[in-house]
Amino acid sequence: MRWWLFLIAFAVTMSLDAGLMPALAVGRTVPQLWPVLLAFVAMYASRESALGAAACIGVWLDATHPALGVGRIAPSAVPVFGPHVLACMAGAWAVLEARSWLYRRNVLTLAFATVACAAFSSLAFIAIAGIRAAYADPSPLWGAGSGAGAVGADLLAALLSAAVGLVPAWALQASVPYWSFAMAGPRFGNPVRIGRSGD
Amino acid sequence: MLVSSRRILGAVLGIAAVLSALPQSAQAPWSSGLAAAVRAPLSPAVSGLAWVRDRVRAPDDPYPNLPEELRAAREDRDRLRGELDAAQLRVGQLERELGELSGYRPGERAGWRPRLASVVERGGGRPAGLLGIDVGSAQGVSQGDPVVVGGNQLVGVVAAGGDASHSWVIPVDDRRAGRIDAVLHPSGSAGLAPAGARTGNAPGSTGPRPTVLVQLVPQGGRTLVGELETGPDGRAADVRPGDSVLLSDATWRPAAQGMRIGLVESVGALDSNPLRRRITVRMEADPARLGRVVVKVQDAAGEGGSR
Repeated sequence: MRWWLFLIAFAVTMSLDAGLMPALAVGRTVPQLWPVLLAFVAMYASRESALGAAACIGVWLDATHPALGVGRIAPSAVPVFGPHVLACMAGAWAVLEARSWLYRRNVLTLAFATVACAAFSSLAFIAIAGIRAAYADPSPLWGAGSGAGAVGADLLAALLSAAVGLVPAWALQASVPYWSFAMAGPRFGNPVRIGRSGD
Repeated sequence: MLVSSRRILGAVLGIAAVLSALPQSAQAPWSSGLAAAVRAPLSPAVSGLAWVRDRVRAPDDPYPNLPEELRAAREDRDRLRGELDAAQLRVGQLERELGELSGYRPGERAGWRPRLASVVERGGGRPAGLLGIDVGSAQGVSQGDPVVVGGNQLVGVVAAGGDASHSWVIPVDDRRAGRIDAVLHPSGSAGLAPAGARTGNAPGSTGPRPTVLVQLVPQGGRTLVGELETGPDGRAADVRPGDSVLLSDATWRPAAQGMRIGLVESVGALDSNPLRRRITVRMEADPARLGRVVVKVQDAAGEGGSR
């Protein structure tokens, strides 16, 4: 995988998520594009590259979603690094395990992978946050409400993300030849060269 | 190369697992700085896209469909109303203190100045609800500063953990913000005239309806709930839908006192305790749909209050 291309896509995706996506919210459910990018990378890249990309996305999510801690004057917003990294890796892992039986040339496949990636990521995050809530955090990392409610809200967001992400998914699918992916051979997508083993 | 990348990945996984297990206090000293450094490269793009977002989907306007002159006049009116409510709360507090001969405290000046801010991040992802605004310690913003819109509609409070040009705001409807003490003002009074003179009282009652103290618990979704106790005379407090709910909480800064949290949406029976009633308060401003807010920045001279 060409990492410089990933970094450009990462910057565009994360900027859109933080700045523009709330404009596309349905009710209180806000779509996100990072599951689309992560699912796309996990569909084609080598296992190491996909999990590395997941770690990058997780670090960004941890930095932009601080938890609330106890403060001296007001509750403090404390970024907690780690949970989103593991959660994104779990999401990427789900796609990595499923990609062998996915027909990747179709954009709808990427939408399906987006839902799977976001759902597994959510489950992993809620599990980690639930464990942390027992000893490390004054309030759960997922915010207000119950863990089940948070999973439900995340699943709704995953479905909305997949729907909103169809256009970016189409653009990403069209860009497959430029990524130099390890798995993007003739069987899987456009006829592009098969990447090196350690890409 | 393959082995090397796997080792790196294993190390990343291990570090992430260890960090995930650490309590907040172990990460707090350094995580804010690291988060600011991670966010910094994309901040200009995020701010630009937030501007586009407000063009695509206009944020909630506290004064919709009004001409500019009337809008400015109403904003001034609500700001003055908020200051008047705050002053009345302060007068009431001083009267109580004098009544109890608890000593004399010098009066406070306003102690704050407004600072306009744009909401650059909000709502999405986990945890939902925190708002990111584009002002920080470089503009004098500090933790505990109240955040308002429309002159006197309280949105939230600035959390600790911001940086020079970025702050996080906890909306008042966020459950993690904790309980909030408030007073219920009869609708339409706003401290300008006796409530009964404008709104009429319950049948059989005379004179203005008194203000009622209540402790609210944030519920999310722009709502807070509270329980009303029966008075010493055995009668329930006279609260009706539409009554204003003003903040009156000693743990908040004086600049936040008297700011309007919202309106009483409903008053109902509390099944678990028939002697009490449950009220639901709905915020007038929707934190998820705000484009610009005003931070009441504490003056350098300082003011009292904890939060």
